[in-house]
Amino acid sequence: MLTLKNISKKLPDGRLLLKDISFHVQKGEFVGILGESGVGKTVLLRCINGLTRPDRGEVILDGDGIPQKINGKKGKELRTIRRKIGMIFQGSILVKRLTVLENVLTGGLGRISTVRSLVYGFTDKEVDQALRALDQVGIRSLAHRRAETLSGGEMQRVAIARAIFQEPHLLLADEPVSNLDPKNTEVVLDFLKPLTKQMAIVGVFHAPKLVSKYCTRIIGIRDGLVVYDGSPELDDTALNLIYGTKDRSLKEMAN
Amino acid sequence: MKRYSKYLLPGGLFFLILWGGMVVCRIDPILLLKGIPQGIKLFGYMIPPAWEKMPELVKPALETLQIAFVGTALGACFSFLIGLIAARNIHSFRLLRDVTRALLSAERALPDLIVMLFFVAIVGFGAFPGVMALMASSIGMLGKLFADAIEEVDPKPIESLEAIGATKIQVIHYAILPQVLPSLIANTLYRFEVNIRMSVLLGVVGAGGIGYSLVTSMRLLKYQESMGAILIILLLVIFCEKSAELFRKVMIGQELLK
Repeated sequence: MLTLKNISKKLPDGRLLLKDISFHVQKGEFVGILGESGVGKTVLLRCINGLTRPDRGEVILDGDGIPQKINGKKGKELRTIRRKIGMIFQGSILVKRLTVLENVLTGGLGRISTVRSLVYGFTDKEVDQALRALDQVGIRSLAHRRAETLSGGEMQRVAIARAIFQEPHLLLADEPVSNLDPKNTEVVLDFLKPLTKQMAIVGVFHAPKLVSKYCTRIIGIRDGLVVYDGSPELDDTALNLIYGTKDRSLKEMAN
Repeated sequence: MKRYSKYLLPGGLFFLILWGGMVVCRIDPILLLKGIPQGIKLFGYMIPPAWEKMPELVKPALETLQIAFVGTALGACFSFLIGLIAARNIHSFRLLRDVTRALLSAERALPDLIVMLFFVAIVGFGAFPGVMALMASSIGMLGKLFADAIEEVDPKPIESLEAIGATKIQVIHYAILPQVLPSLIANTLYRFEVNIRMSVLLGVVGAGGIGYSLVTSMRLLKYQESMGAILIILLLVIFCEKSAELFRKVMIGQELLK
């Protein structure tokens, strides 16, 4: 489904952030990427859909049985591949002045032509589909409310509905729950988890305790390399590998 | 005494320049006082307004309104496109952006009447150069305001749409336009109020309409007709301001309901 080969990325100041990252993700997996803050988790995620360009290495998406290289692509080719990759960000990405339903519909923009989106937008069938996506995250009743009137948890659920409507092969989640309280965190992750039936999910998290309950696999990044790749049940050895032993506070956060 | 001494030089300089300016401009209060009877006489000639001529002035008044409306509407449309070019967060051609910004500043530096004279020189007298002049001066102001509004939008929705393969135009349509629309409407309405006054003034220098009727009747010494034109101009300007206000209220009302 998704293959990363030898990804490296330098920061503008010349520091090598990602040295050599390779892994492969299968359909149905829920991969959690962990690591100390500043280790480059978000940059890695952004390298996958080309929002950030890796300096070296390859990102290959294989959704329809045809492997496609993502990095290095531009313009129309890049857009065509991006249609198959959904993305949820930290904090809200919604257009606050549009309604919830309109925000969900924007998930389908990659599928329709520019001319069509200017002339008549989405069909009734597509609107029904978007409403079903909202149903799936339990907020269909909010469909015609303005996005700005929603709470943080509700906004993140709209973002998930938007990703469902997009029908991607792969969903990238950049710290999707770090702005939420514990209750909303669970709610959002509970809606995210079943999506693995249709797509692979790769998420960046900073709370290791959380991920073992939801992820099927953990990839730990440290000093620009993959230092852990395996079971979401993280023992002390694994946590030491990912976060190091020196920092007590991080370990406490983990427990 | 010492406390005030530091104001002595700048204060003295200011009054010197003011006095010099008044001499050069021949400020003469006596002349103004002497002119008062003449003013009253002129006002006397204007009364009563030529009511019977007023219906004839409706057509030029409508022409003035149309010049202002078309000039503002076309100006606002072009301003949105130019605003996109002049905004920092839409494209990465820095030179194009800087040149556009510089042209907008240059337009704003030109007085509207000079812009009008320029268009009269190319296309001759009439409503057309009037519309062009208003359009140009609207773009000078609205283009800059729109560009600033576009630069201030929340960047996250833009990136999130780019991330899923939306085209540039789709991003502008769904992520930028909804965010800047209230500011576009408010500024365009304000500009319309400016343009209706400008439209009257442009009539005086050759754009036709009610301004032209006013200046013609003055030249022919038909002061009662002039008074009629002045009353119609007053009505026209008040009508436009009230309509803009109403429109604004309706728009904000919808905002609150949604």
